[in-house]
Amino acid sequence: MALRKRPTSVHKRLLSYLLAPLFVLLVAGVAVDHHVIVSPIHSAFDHSLSRSALAIVARIHARPDGQLDVGLPSHPPPPLRAMPDEQFFYRVSLPDGTTIAGSPELPIAPDSQSPDGFSYTNITFRDQPFRLASYRTSETGDPLVVTVAETPARRDRAVHRLDVAFLINDTVQMAAVLIIALVGIRIALRPLQRLSRQIAGRPAVALNQLPTEDAPAEVLPLVESLNSLLGRVRDSVLSQQHFLANAAHQLRTPLTGLKAQLEVLTRETAGTPLQERITLLQGGVDRLAHTANQLLTLARAEPSAHRASHFTAVDLPHLIGEVIDSSLDRAIAHGIDLGADSEPVQVTGVYWLLHEVLNNLIDNAIRHTPAGGNITIRCGMENHRPFLEVDDSGVGIPPEEREKVRERFYRSARSTANGSDGCGLGLAIVDEVARVHGASLSILEGSSGRGARMRIDFPLVR
Amino acid sequence: MRILLVEDDSLVSDAISRGLVGSGYVVDAVGDAESVASRLTDTHYDLAIVDLGLPGEDGLSLVRRLRRSGSSLPLLIVTARDGLDDRITALDLGADDYLVKPFALPELAARCRALIRRATAAAANEIVVGGLRIDLAGRRALNEKGDVLELTRREWSILECLAHHSGRVVSKERLTQAITGWSEDISGNAIEVHVSRLRSKLGSSATVRGIRGLGYRLEDA
Repeated sequence: MALRKRPTSVHKRLLSYLLAPLFVLLVAGVAVDHHVIVSPIHSAFDHSLSRSALAIVARIHARPDGQLDVGLPSHPPPPLRAMPDEQFFYRVSLPDGTTIAGSPELPIAPDSQSPDGFSYTNITFRDQPFRLASYRTSETGDPLVVTVAETPARRDRAVHRLDVAFLINDTVQMAAVLIIALVGIRIALRPLQRLSRQIAGRPAVALNQLPTEDAPAEVLPLVESLNSLLGRVRDSVLSQQHFLANAAHQLRTPLTGLKAQLEVLTRETAGTPLQERITLLQGGVDRLAHTANQLLTLARAEPSAHRASHFTAVDLPHLIGEVIDSSLDRAIAHGIDLGADSEPVQVTGVYWLLHEVLNNLIDNAIRHTPAGGNITIRCGMENHRPFLEVDDSGVGIPPEEREKVRERFYRSARSTANGSDGCGLGLAIVDEVARVHGASLSILEGSSGRGARMRIDFPLVR
Repeated sequence: MRILLVEDDSLVSDAISRGLVGSGYVVDAVGDAESVASRLTDTHYDLAIVDLGLPGEDGLSLVRRLRRSGSSLPLLIVTARDGLDDRITALDLGADDYLVKPFALPELAARCRALIRRATAAAANEIVVGGLRIDLAGRRALNEKGDVLELTRREWSILECLAHHSGRVVSKERLTQAITGWSEDISGNAIEVHVSRLRSKLGSSATVRGIRGLGYRLEDA
């Protein structure tokens, strides 16, 4: 079977149109949040760094000799203590660059002229990034520069944590929006689903209008054009049926006249040479009548010709009884044992069409079964599917011909050789009617190993 | 035996008339439903053959009108319409039989014969199948020589049931129902035994044919 392109679903389309913008929004949201939060965090940490500088200033005492003494203990107090993975450096220097205490190689931040005397910068010191704060003060008398530097690990960690928190928060929000949207879409699409269920649930031949009351405005034009299409189809079906009924009448009446006239003529010309030619004429008229009948049946079996009201519960054993009743005399005349093997089963169908089908199948079987043979009609249930079959002990149909015999006007070599007067429409009618009923026709080998078995499997009974 | 033929197509009408006349009937042909009434008041007919597709008043309406007026004239419908609905409507309205065009003359003649015989037999309250005469009122059956057949009650019930549907297949179940008035427990085999005894008693006057998987049919021998 050829690969079919998957049908596009409105649901999926809506989802994909929502998903991409939502993702972009998520990224943008997290970026904005990051920018908003970075500067307050940095100023908070800078503030804490400035406290370290102030703590150092507080420990600077002027010695009596005028020299400055920075009394930092070996274990510095909390603001100056570095965390295990951090490093902290300080330098107390004079404006000319002379280092009084701390690490003399620590650079000094350029003066930012800020009123509180602090200036900040980012540096790389001993191959590591550092945040540096220089405090220019004259508290102890002479101007001093106190510089402190710390690794930015803590502030980075804080920013990182907040970023993660924002990402999680935003993702959860987006997911919530997406779920709400999905539920909303599903609810909004319900009328569409209802409509498609209504259409799918109809019998294939139903031509009545679809309800428009609860169709949403967007779908209403679709429903209305579908209804107008259905209306037109129904009109054309009705006019076709009317035409066929008239055609049937117009064809059959003169045929009846011809047939009857020829029969009278046969009687009147008994024993004359004309007889032979009249017999030939009769054969032609019979064939014509048969073909006209079959054509009309075939045309009326077209699926479009049946409204749901034509479908009723058909009891197959009863149908078999009826058809056998009318075919029995022909079977007896051909020396054929016609019988049934039926189990109680019902199908939904058009009674006269099924009658016609069984009649055609039995007619075929009688024509292809030699005297002394037998034909058995069976019905029953197999794998929850009702079936109807005609099994004969006749000449059978070779496997290579089994598909061709369904074609209209196909006549096999054997049917012409038998001199049977079929027009090649019988099985085409059976095939068509099976299709109308959602059933399938199988052409099989007769169960006796000879002959043919024509089997119709009806759809699953629910 | 006089037959009234109501058929508008002259080709058909002429052929049917000739055919039935050839079979020994007297045939009066009219072309429309309107002229039927006057014919019926003047003449006694044993059967009317009515085409459904008549100009003016159609055949169905004629059947309805005849039955409403209380006529018991046997009616055989011939029509080009083969829809089951038409057939059922015609039979419901009171037609006795139905033949779809195109048909063969011998079949038409056979149907006419059967209808006339049925009407005659119904008047005499008896059913005739081949050489067998079944007297329903007297509850007895006579063979072609006029001898009364010695039947048991069950055999009579089976014969009566088959005769009511003569020419048609009657299921075993139906036959069982027909005789269970006398017995509660009857097996399919018991029916077969009764039928085979009945068959031998009927001799050559008529026969009961067994139809595999369906039942039995009473027919001309």
